[in-house]
Formats: sequence, C-alpha cells, structure tokens
Amino acid sequence: MAAPRSNREFVEACIKSGDAVRIKQEVDWENEAGAIVRRACELAAPAPFMEKIKDYPGFSYFGAPLSTYRRMAISMGMDPASSLPEIGREYVKRTNGEVVPPVLVDRKDAPCKENILKGADVDLCRLPVPLVHDGDGGRYVGTWHAVVTKHPVRGDVNWGMYRQMMFDSRTMSGAVFPFSDLGKALNDYYLPRGESCPFATAIGLSPLAAMAACAPSPIPEPELTGMLAGEPVRLVKCETNDLEVPADAEIILEGEICPDYKVEEGPFGEYTGYRTSPRDFRVTFRVNCITYRNNATMTISNMGVPQDEGQLLRSFSLGLELEKLLKSQGIPVTGVYMHPRSTHHMMIVGVKPTYSGVAQQIGQLAFGSKLGPWFHMVMVVDDQTDIYNWDEVYHAFCTRCHPANGIHIYKNSPGTPLYPFATPHERKFSIGSKVVFDCLWPTDWDKINDVPTLVSFKHVYPQDIQDKVLANWTAYGYPPVK
Amino acid sequence: MNQWEVFVNDVKELAEDTELELTIRTLNPGIHKYTYKRVRAQVSADLKKHADQLQVRLGRGQLSQGRFSIKVLGEVQRMPAKYL
Repeated sequence: MAAPRSNREFVEACIKSGDAVRIKQEVDWENEAGAIVRRACELAAPAPFMEKIKDYPGFSYFGAPLSTYRRMAISMGMDPASSLPEIGREYVKRTNGEVVPPVLVDRKDAPCKENILKGADVDLCRLPVPLVHDGDGGRYVGTWHAVVTKHPVRGDVNWGMYRQMMFDSRTMSGAVFPFSDLGKALNDYYLPRGESCPFATAIGLSPLAAMAACAPSPIPEPELTGMLAGEPVRLVKCETNDLEVPADAEIILEGEICPDYKVEEGPFGEYTGYRTSPRDFRVTFRVNCITYRNNATMTISNMGVPQDEGQLLRSFSLGLELEKLLKSQGIPVTGVYMHPRSTHHMMIVGVKPTYSGVAQQIGQLAFGSKLGPWFHMVMVVDDQTDIYNWDEVYHAFCTRCHPANGIHIYKNSPGTPLYPFATPHERKFSIGSKVVFDCLWPTDWDKINDVPTLVSFKHVYPQDIQDKVLANWTAYGYPPVK
Repeated sequence: MNQWEVFVNDVKELAEDTELELTIRTLNPGIHKYTYKRVRAQVSADLKKHADQLQVRLGRGQLSQGRFSIKVLGEVQRMPAKYL
C-alpha cells in the first residue's frame, strides 16, 4: 500500500479502512465542527469528514487526521493494525535513508491553483475558518498545516506548525516561540532590519507533509516528506513571493510576517489539555493572496485533553528524534518513548546501565538539545523494562527511583509558555525547569547481594515451569490469554 | 444593534463613560463573525445607554457575567502604513 500523496487520498484511504466517517448533514463552523473533532479524539473514534459546512457551500472539513496510531500507519502506507514499535522502526528506517529532494511542478499541474484570490478579493472569511473551542480568542486558520518560510541568509526552507488565528479579513496572529526556527529568524534578521518576512501557509497537506512539519528533525521538511513517502513531494511556486508550497495542498495563504507589529492572539485550547498561555500580542501575518482547490477541505486539529495529534504525533516523532540523538552520541539506549498521555512532557528511555551517571547524561543531552524546551521530564529505566508498557515503567519508577539520590532537578532552562504548571513569570519569559528520574539500580551495588530480585512470573520461575503453566493455562479453567 | 465582544484580564479595565481604546470582535451573524477591529469607544453598565451591546471574556476565555452597552466612536488604525 503506497503512502497517500494528498489529503484527499488520505481521506479516501481512511474511509475505506473504517478510520474515517462521512458526515453528510450540515455542520456549523462555529463550535459544532470543533466539538465533533474533540469528541472523536477523546473516544479515539474515526476521523470526521464533514461534507457540508454552514455558510460555506463547496468546502469540507477533515478533523483529527492523525489522532490514532491506525491513521498514522495508513499515512505511511502501512497496515492500519501495525503496532507502535513497528511504525516507529519504519519511521527511523525511512528517515535514516537516502534524502529525497522535492520536485517543482508547473502551476497548471498544481491543484492548489484552481482558485486564486488577490487584491481586494482577499478575505480569510471566504474560507470556512472554524471556531474550534468555545471561548477561544478567535477562529483558527492554522491548526493542522505548515507555515512555509525560507531563511534569508542560509536559504534553508522551514515548514513549521505555528498556530494562526484570524484577526481580521487579511490578518492572522500566531504563536511563534523565540527558540523556534522561525522565531530565531524573525528576531535575528527581520526585526533589526525592519523588513517583512515572506511566508505561505499550506492547509490540507498530505499527512506525511504534516508529519514532517510537526517533526523536530534536522532534515528540511520537503526532503523529510519525500523520505517518509518514498517519492518526491510536488512543490509549486507561490503567486506573490519566491516560496514553494505543496502543489497538492487544499488551501494556500501567501503573505508577509510583520516583525515590528504585533496584534492580540489567543487564548486557545492547547495540546496540554488546557488554555494556559495568556492572550498576548504575538506575531502578525498579513495575507496578500489565497489559492485553493475546487471543493477544498480544511483540516482541523482540536487540541485538548489526550489524545489528539498534538500529543500523539509529537510524542512519536519527538521520541524517535531524541532516540537518534542519543544513539549518535554513543549512549547505550534500547528505546525512547513518549506516552501521548504525558502530552509529550515525559521522555521514557530504556538503557543498558553499563556505567554510572548514564541517566543524568541522557537528561543533560536531551534537555540541552534543540528539542529540550518541549518536555521537562526524563525517566530512565533499564533494558529489561518495556518502555511501551506504562504498568512496568510506573512500577520501576515507584520502586527504583531513590527519592533523595535518583531525582535530579535543573532550574532556569528553556521552556514554553504552554506549561500549565509554570508560574506567570516563567510563561512570559519561556523559562522552564527539568527533572530526571533515575530508575536504574546503581552500578556500584553488588548485583548478587544488593540488587533486589524482580518477583514476576517470567523472572522467578524456571523456564520449564513457565512453559508447563502456559501450556496448561486453559486446562486449569482459565480463558485463553490474547 | 451590533453585538461585540472584548477580552480583558479584569472587568475593571472597562471604565464607564470615558473614551477607551479597545480591541473588539463582532458577534453579528455571518461569515465575518469573530473578526476584530481596534476602536475608540465608550461603554456603560446601563444596557440601554448605547445602541450596541458588549459581551466580556476573561483571560482564558471564560465568559464574564458583566454586560455593557457600547458606543463605537471610530476605528483606530494600528498597523504601520508600510503593511497596508
């Protein structure tokens, strides 16, 4: 099964497998569509494809695109029943392979150019921008999308998923944190020069392009999309600037970021499950041109309590990129996992505990990396603990982590304003605190006399007894174990 | 009559019968609902004093019980001319 090359192919594949439903009755863009997506996320239900939107004939919504591992597997062209470790291994294999550069196509071959609005015709309200949560600071144009920019000196392309709120018919405001790629470019280059920064927002991407925009990989997103898909992503030139955007996207917004002019943004329901960050003056995006496909589909991610793609996909890619980082430094890790329910705040690391201090070394590398601001807990367990099994991890944490010696706290590190526990001062200045939970037996303990023996079926009984009990399990009168 | 909404951290920010500069969004039905403008305005807790109505939300989106009438005196253009 090939990976879907567009959002449309993805919707069809999900409907075919039972992982999306067609909603034919009219849905209101004001709260109702958001509420459907939110409930689908909380129930891990099929993704809603809403075909009829109040006030917006001809447009549709696709919500919760990647909020289950089944849909993530479909997006990669895999069997929907693939396990998380299988999907993870495939992600690592593809992203460690040959770089697949994008191809540039003519505008006549780009569906996103089927409708073009310029000048006085530019009005974001002509698009079915949803009010995702009641009480949000505005209607959010960008919840599952890519903001495309190019570094003015280095020339490298960045696709980032920076949320964007419709402020008025031509203006959006968005949360761009100072430690992000775009935040650095704005503060280092554009703001001192008083120059505007060209941007394009692509909505309704192929799922792998969205995955790339969300992934904290050092590989440029167009190339990463190609590597994940196994074929080049098709790009096309923008109408009003030199940027290139996915030709098969549903909607493209072109314009300029105004680095010296900010307008109000938020509050907004976030991936942590709260509205945490205050309404504030944030980055302003001025829209000069809108292009879109016939019968365009707007994608909606509804962030809130687990689980939605904000937690699931970010946990997935952040964990795997951290695993690559640790392995590149020679750390004997056996796996890295971020449980989506931790809202990608806790990194669980399996390691062969061959030397002392390895847990702190892992924490320092992870927190010190570019990815560090996005999480604040690292829990290190040994290679006998199944990092995907929360029962085992939790047991290790509660029994092996010494309350005085095994918890290591780092203050005044980079954080995000979205941390619900952060003080108002910390939120304002993106200040974080970090903690490592060392759940390893100390290497200087005598392995025979000091290290406790794990008392479990698979650890304390001889293999022949285990085999006998397993073979006779149903004969004892128990139902079969799946 | 127009319906408007404003976000404030504290309802006390809405001093009555003085000229205020506010960022308000329209609640009038239609495709432009929830778009913002910056205005000079006067507000009053007397709901009959001005023709338009103003609803208030607090910092994290909570709907306030406080209701006001509002008179929009004019629009304020904050955006630098180079971006217009």
